[in-house]
Amino acid sequence: MNALPTAIRTVRWMVRDTFRQSLASKLFWVMLGFTVLCTLFCLGITVNTPGERPRHSAEIPDRLPKGYDPRAAEQGIPESGGTMTLGFGLFELNVPKFREDAVRFFQVWLAGILADTVGVLLALLWTAGFLPTFLEPHAVTVLLAKPAPRWSLLVGKYLGVVLFVALHATLFVGGTWIGMGISTGVWNSTYWLAVPLLIINFAVFYAFSAFLAVCTRSTVVAVFGTLLFWLLCWAVNMTHLHTIAVEVQGLTPASTFLLDAGYWVLPKPLDMSGIFFDAMKARDYSTPIPQLEIAKAKGQFYPELSVLTSLAFAVGILALAVYEFRTMDY
Amino acid sequence: MADAVVFDQVVKTYRTGFLGRGAGIPALRSVSLKVPAGGVFGLLGPNRAGKTTLVKLLLSLARPTAGTITRLGASLADRRTLARIGYMHENHAFPRYLSAGELLAFYGGLSGVPGEQVGAKVEQLLVRVGLADRRSEPIARFSKGMVQRLGLAQALLNDPDLLILDEPTEGLDLGGRQLMREVVREMKAAGKTVLLVSHVLPEVEQLCDSLAILVSGKVVHTGTVANLLRDPRTGEKRSLESALRSLYEKGQAA
Repeated sequence: MNALPTAIRTVRWMVRDTFRQSLASKLFWVMLGFTVLCTLFCLGITVNTPGERPRHSAEIPDRLPKGYDPRAAEQGIPESGGTMTLGFGLFELNVPKFREDAVRFFQVWLAGILADTVGVLLALLWTAGFLPTFLEPHAVTVLLAKPAPRWSLLVGKYLGVVLFVALHATLFVGGTWIGMGISTGVWNSTYWLAVPLLIINFAVFYAFSAFLAVCTRSTVVAVFGTLLFWLLCWAVNMTHLHTIAVEVQGLTPASTFLLDAGYWVLPKPLDMSGIFFDAMKARDYSTPIPQLEIAKAKGQFYPELSVLTSLAFAVGILALAVYEFRTMDY
Repeated sequence: MADAVVFDQVVKTYRTGFLGRGAGIPALRSVSLKVPAGGVFGLLGPNRAGKTTLVKLLLSLARPTAGTITRLGASLADRRTLARIGYMHENHAFPRYLSAGELLAFYGGLSGVPGEQVGAKVEQLLVRVGLADRRSEPIARFSKGMVQRLGLAQALLNDPDLLILDEPTEGLDLGGRQLMREVVREMKAAGKTVLLVSHVLPEVEQLCDSLAILVSGKVVHTGTVANLLRDPRTGEKRSLESALRSLYEKGQAA
């Protein structure tokens, strides 16, 4: 029996088992239900931009929707824009003058903020129990006594959960894209970039969750440890951007070094969102993270390095988890 | 006859304390033991004697602190030999969301049973252990005895050359115990090896050809069952229980 085909077969079986587990635990249906609700919500959106004309290629977009520019009242600057209704007309918002901008604005909040923050944290919370349950001694010993390489059992389970979340991220983005497309007539394909963003963000933090699960075999530790770790990464990322944006004085060389080291070693959830905002041209009509915009303007934001170092962290921490799992006595 | 398993001066100390820097808990102290191929070998001993640790080392669930173990002619590093071993233990915690059929297909896949043969093998084993009519039922609804039967079926998926049974009749009814004995006898008749860890003395007496007795991590006796049942001082036949009690006391005093 060759090692590689055995490992591949094991990974495939573990992925299949994870999907089976998600179906049995109803998690699959809960996440699908959430996607259906969001899709219905998107179907209930209407955008009304009276007098909209074709956009000139050199035209500077409206940064603010109608009614939001303080100069309008003071200096009599004319405003343009339209309205967006949500929930089949229940709520009304003022939006920029171009329908496409209004939809992109909404998509940035839906995928870049709601799904990427609340969605990823919920997915981490809901899936945190998968690995500790699998690693429970009476459950795992029979599996470990099979000829499958140990690493492939853990990697298979990890990949299974990531693929499960990837499927739901795709369904979520696809569903809301179709919903908004039908209701507004805007089919913005850039929105699909949210899928890799969500998958990478989840995969990075789930690698840390897997490490905790292997070391402690405790669902509670895996859940709270991962949420605290996400908070730490978010804080380090934000502090790093803040020090660039406002040029904080009085930082000692040691604290600057620690902050830089922390920033480059740890995953960067805000930077990842920033990459999505850039792709969606969010700065044309909104600045979700002002510090990030300043860092970009100063040329101190490196999106490729952000993604690569975040992924490197995931690979490193997963390798540590695999090492621990391979050498652990059961 | 070649040996199926050889333990040579095997020591196992479980790590304790922060980063394993504590004094450690000794589980096996220089155990040397040979399990002959093609028979039923019993492993007996009081609680905490090290029987389960010995089985765990044999299955690569734990690593020996010192000494060497040869498994079906190969070292422990060669995990391919696990494809020729079946293992059943007393407390299975199978995924409760799977049905009996799904569980066996899953374990069959991981045991290296070719994909095209898994389905037929699963059917055959479900019939063999008396669970054919519960094929699609979730394991969550199974009694302990049914889970044990399923545990036996998964241990036989790969037609093992070495079957390790750790307290196999725990929770089984009379029919289940009978089934277990039949399987052990069939394995023996086919020239395969069975390593039986049990506290049920009549079972050991009926099934085992030879045995080893562990006390406090040391082997205090190896030999045939017939030899053990003869008092070494008087030469008279004695019960297995009295033989074991005498060896346990001697082992604990040493």
